[in-house]
Amino acid sequence: MKRLSIVVAGTGQIRDLEIQPGTSAADILHQLNLADYLLSRGPNEPFFASSESVYDKVKDGEKLFASTKAEVGLLVCA
Amino acid sequence: MRVKVLGTRPAPNTIRDIFSRVVRVHTPVITVQRREIPYWQERGWIREGNCFTGMYQTPHASFHGWIEEKLFGHLEFRLYNPSREIRNHSHWVCFAPRGEEWYMVHMARRPKDVSSGILTIERLISEAFE
Repeated sequence: MKRLSIVVAGTGQIRDLEIQPGTSAADILHQLNLADYLLSRGPNEPFFASSESVYDKVKDGEKLFASTKAEVGLLVCA
Repeated sequence: MRVKVLGTRPAPNTIRDIFSRVVRVHTPVITVQRREIPYWQERGWIREGNCFTGMYQTPHASFHGWIEEKLFGHLEFRLYNPSREIRNHSHWVCFAPRGEEWYMVHMARRPKDVSSGILTIERLISEAFE
């Protein structure tokens, strides 16, 4: 088991949780009822893919960020 | 006499360590409170009414930013004086000039809160420098 603290970007609220091996980003967001959010280790790190196992990529006690989906772009902008 | 003291000698260090841990008086534990504040506030942005000013911060560079919360929660993100790296990024066409070196950053998928928007633009800046 690993302990994580998830910072919900908009509110600053911190949610503490424990995850087991194989826990995916989607599992965490679902458990926290953050359906329209993405999980990352910070602004300079890529988002975890929905099905990606978070357990292998984080350290015990680490802080992650949950932020709403957003994308810079236009219709003509890839 | 059943016991006869022949002398005394110091105990080995290992035994003294164990003993000292057992008898050590524990001072009260101090719980450090966590700051539960939005990301924009944690990064030093300042809110005045429906406008936010601060810096988009990355390990590569920082840029002045300005965000306005408009009607119905619509957010407009601006960035001041984008660097050559940003201007060479594939998303440069998403930056619309607004005068005096300010550029509005167009969001194809709009963030639902200021913090998520800042995170998105900081991620784009990092990409531009990598």
